[in-house]
Amino acid sequence: MLSYAPGSSVAHRLDPRTKLFVQIAIAIAAFAHTTPRGLLILTAITGIVLVSADLDPRGVLRELRWLLVLTTMGPVFSVLVFGPPWIDLYRAIDPAMASYRVLCLLLVSVAYVRTTPVRDSRAAIEWFIPGRLGRGLGLGVGLVFRLLPVLLADVSRLRMAIDARAGTQRPLHDRIRRLTLGSLRRLFDRVETLTMALQARCLSWNPTTPPLGFEVIDWPALVLAFGLLGWAVV
Amino acid sequence: MTASDSSQVDLVGAELTRNIVRAALFAALLGAFSQVSFSIPFSPAPITLQLLGVYLAGILLGPVWGGGACVLYLLAGALGAPVFAERASGLGVMVGPTGGYLFAMPIAAVIIGMIVHGNTSLVDPSQRGVGRLLAGLISGTVVIYTCGVVGMMVLLDFTVQGAITAGALVFLPGEALKIAAAIGIVRSDAITAA
Repeated sequence: MLSYAPGSSVAHRLDPRTKLFVQIAIAIAAFAHTTPRGLLILTAITGIVLVSADLDPRGVLRELRWLLVLTTMGPVFSVLVFGPPWIDLYRAIDPAMASYRVLCLLLVSVAYVRTTPVRDSRAAIEWFIPGRLGRGLGLGVGLVFRLLPVLLADVSRLRMAIDARAGTQRPLHDRIRRLTLGSLRRLFDRVETLTMALQARCLSWNPTTPPLGFEVIDWPALVLAFGLLGWAVV
Repeated sequence: MTASDSSQVDLVGAELTRNIVRAALFAALLGAFSQVSFSIPFSPAPITLQLLGVYLAGILLGPVWGGGACVLYLLAGALGAPVFAERASGLGVMVGPTGGYLFAMPIAAVIIGMIVHGNTSLVDPSQRGVGRLLAGLISGTVVIYTCGVVGMMVLLDFTVQGAITAGALVFLPGEALKIAAAIGIVRSDAITAA
């Protein structure tokens, strides 16, 4: 599973705002220049990003195989023609370039995921969206990261329990209903407990998030991002 | 922290805390439901419960917090929580094959919530008629699949026919099942939004 892993790579040391800005700039430039030349440059930038995050592209591609299957469906569907000659390979060129663009953007985003802890992402959200809205979103995102394993375990246990009681022989709608009802009951039980726990710990609008600051190492990345944005509007 | 600092602590109100917790838990449930898949007869595509979670967010949390739960789901996924299908995450997924569907989720939850509840003050959805629930859920589904199909055309350069076939038609039997499940769950009185 692709998730944050501690490390000392260049990408680990970058400010989260820089990494988000670079990702967005790469995406904008990629959409503005989905041409063979543009994709060649995008490939080089993706390679630099992966190297800076100490990531092996083969391992990342293995993890993303399901998305890759979906991504290749564009060219496959495009070559089919309803009528003679039935298959027209020329029609696959533009979808193939669009699919390759998505592949590069997926790889770039994995580098962010792998090198950025949630507390840094939360601080970046609160910087990008000032005020209580940003704080609320930061708080909510932090909670989602913490609660996801709990909810995954709840749903997994429920599904095993349903299957163990001849669940696989029940009609599908009944299995879905049982699983969803069980999950919702546990969720609403947790609402009470967690709300009380957060209030007991004096949940406030002014929490202590990690201080953010651009370092010397951020400047080349920011120059790259501004360069890509400039290239996108040319 | 000094004594003067402690007076500056700005506590989050009880009702707001409860709503943020409900939205965050629902966002995490959406992430968990995205990993649950069932094979359905006569369809090449297995179904996940992800959109059922969106439907229930709109119905049980209402337009504001249902939409908020979906926004938290997307934001957490974009920032690295493995909440998307097959435990994927990252901004790249948002501009990938499923990007259109993902961006439509908060809009669908808001629309479903507005149709079911009538306005932003919540009512007990189990007291709403089947017609109203059905109208909300069908509207939400139309929004999600329209955005999904448009997303495939824009992001992956699909043809219209290809996008509708691969991005909507194969999933419609599963969506009908989820809509029926959502109505059954809400009308069963078996749960009430805390």
